[in-house]
Amino acid sequence: MTTTTVSAPVRSLSELSADDVAAARADNPDAFGNTGRSLLVYAVWASVFVYLVFAFWYFDFARMFQPSENAQRLLAAMFRWEDMATWQYGNIYRGIAETLAMAFLGTFLASLVALVIGFLAARNIVRIPIFRHTVRRILDVFRGVDQLVWALVFVRAVGLGPLAGVLAIFISDIGTLSKLYSEAIENIDRKQVEGVRATGAGPVRTIRFGILPQVLPVFLSQSLYFLESNTRSATILGIVGAGGIGMIIIERFRATLYDQVVFVVINVLILVAIIDWVSKKIRMKFIGEVGH
Amino acid sequence: MAVTVDTNLNDMGHREDPVSTYEKHRKELARAKMGQNLLLGALFFGLLVFSIVTSQFYPERLAQAGSRVFEYIGTIMPNLEWDKLFLGRDDQGSAIEGSLTFWYTDFGKYMALIWETILMAITASLLGTAGALALCFAGSRNLIKNSWIYFFARRFMEICRGVPEILIALVFVFAFGIGPLAGILAIAIHSAGALGKLFAEVNENVSQRPIDGVRGVGGNWFEQMRYGVMPQVLPNYVSYGLLRFEINVRASSIIGFVGAGGIGQELNRVISFYSDDRVLAVLILVVLTVTIIDLFSERLRMYFIGKEQL
Repeated sequence: MTTTTVSAPVRSLSELSADDVAAARADNPDAFGNTGRSLLVYAVWASVFVYLVFAFWYFDFARMFQPSENAQRLLAAMFRWEDMATWQYGNIYRGIAETLAMAFLGTFLASLVALVIGFLAARNIVRIPIFRHTVRRILDVFRGVDQLVWALVFVRAVGLGPLAGVLAIFISDIGTLSKLYSEAIENIDRKQVEGVRATGAGPVRTIRFGILPQVLPVFLSQSLYFLESNTRSATILGIVGAGGIGMIIIERFRATLYDQVVFVVINVLILVAIIDWVSKKIRMKFIGEVGH
Repeated sequence: MAVTVDTNLNDMGHREDPVSTYEKHRKELARAKMGQNLLLGALFFGLLVFSIVTSQFYPERLAQAGSRVFEYIGTIMPNLEWDKLFLGRDDQGSAIEGSLTFWYTDFGKYMALIWETILMAITASLLGTAGALALCFAGSRNLIKNSWIYFFARRFMEICRGVPEILIALVFVFAFGIGPLAGILAIAIHSAGALGKLFAEVNENVSQRPIDGVRGVGGNWFEQMRYGVMPQVLPNYVSYGLLRFEINVRASSIIGFVGAGGIGQELNRVISFYSDDRVLAVLILVVLTVTIIDLFSERLRMYFIGKEQL
């Protein structure tokens, strides 16, 4: 057996000599930590700590621990619901329906437009770089400005109400969906396209029979995902006046009806959970089928 | 002579070629699916009509809206003149119309607010990551034996990320007053929920062996997490944390809409009360900031992921 060599398994710590330790250190320089690295780690932690202390001072976190009377009233209202008969449930559920409608219409229209723009922004479809880059930069602007900012702009332009919300979702989704669509088109299998082209098909038919069957499941799944995420974001577009349940939330919040606000928010959470579930089911049904 | 059974005979005894058999089957399948497709189509169409009616998405309103949107875009365009573009202030200290200085009169104020926005995002990301770290181990199926703790950790994270940031901010503005504190807390809570979920998913894919090793030498639960799990997941945590930071920069740039600090407050004020070139001035700064931080953070993320793969 190898019990006589230095690298023998150690039975107890007392058998270990200083030479063994030194040899092990030399063999595995990183296992015992090196000074430079641990200094760096300490420096990172120290700077995070210093930054947080600075931020707590700069942003006056002490205010957190002296909550105003408002906070206490709000907390109390969360758990004590009064006059539940007078809450105008019709309005609340109409607002929720409006939210759904905004998300659905915005996503649907954006998907239609993105279907066209996606092809225009794809490297393997449009061979003119200048044109493609121009399309992409415009999409960047659509995407770079937040949906809520678009909503605010459209409220200014077309007035309060769900139309502004639909337009906001529409514009910001054109930016994102077109980008995702064009990436999907760029990642297709060339062989099917060549096969279709070899049969003498023109550009339109090549797209229809060579490309579209490959990308449609991806498009559908992405649009469904966006429908889901837009339902979430449509709930807050109303805060700037762009229709939907958010308008009811902000209205009742301003009227200091906090118990109703809590009720509406719970409803929104349930709505989002249902949408998540339904969208997952649809995605599994369609994508599972096509994906085989 | 043996009688061969012709499998291509149909019920009437006629001969059928394989193509028509195939076509027949295809039609049967198509007919079976048609009912379902019709139902789905009707549902889709119904939803579409409902949406159009609810949001009053009618052609005449749309045409009107379209022209007003373009009109609005026209009003927010800056009035820049090429020959005066880089002129500074004149002797009286007022900017010359048509120059960049005139357009960005409040540049200093905007930059201060953008600085505040970035600090808000950093602080909220740090606090959110800390919250996620505290929650994620309890929300990982493989690391926690007590299913009650697991259940509550998961539900708590769901509520944190389920309520939109801007709603939490609305409440905090009301509770703690107008200012960035409300925004930071709101974004931090949302981040804790979102990051907690991602961290927990990373945790559920770790190797059990280092954890067993630490337990084997007598480490308690915290030591198992610290020395068994953390070294495996830290690069992923950093990468997710940076990604969240990018999202938080966007969030903190709009959270001011409800009075929770940052450039959003100015953006809201400018869009709501004026419709001139100031709107575009602030918007350009916001988009530039977000883009620059995205690029910077992407580099950093690549660095950490690259390290992980070594």
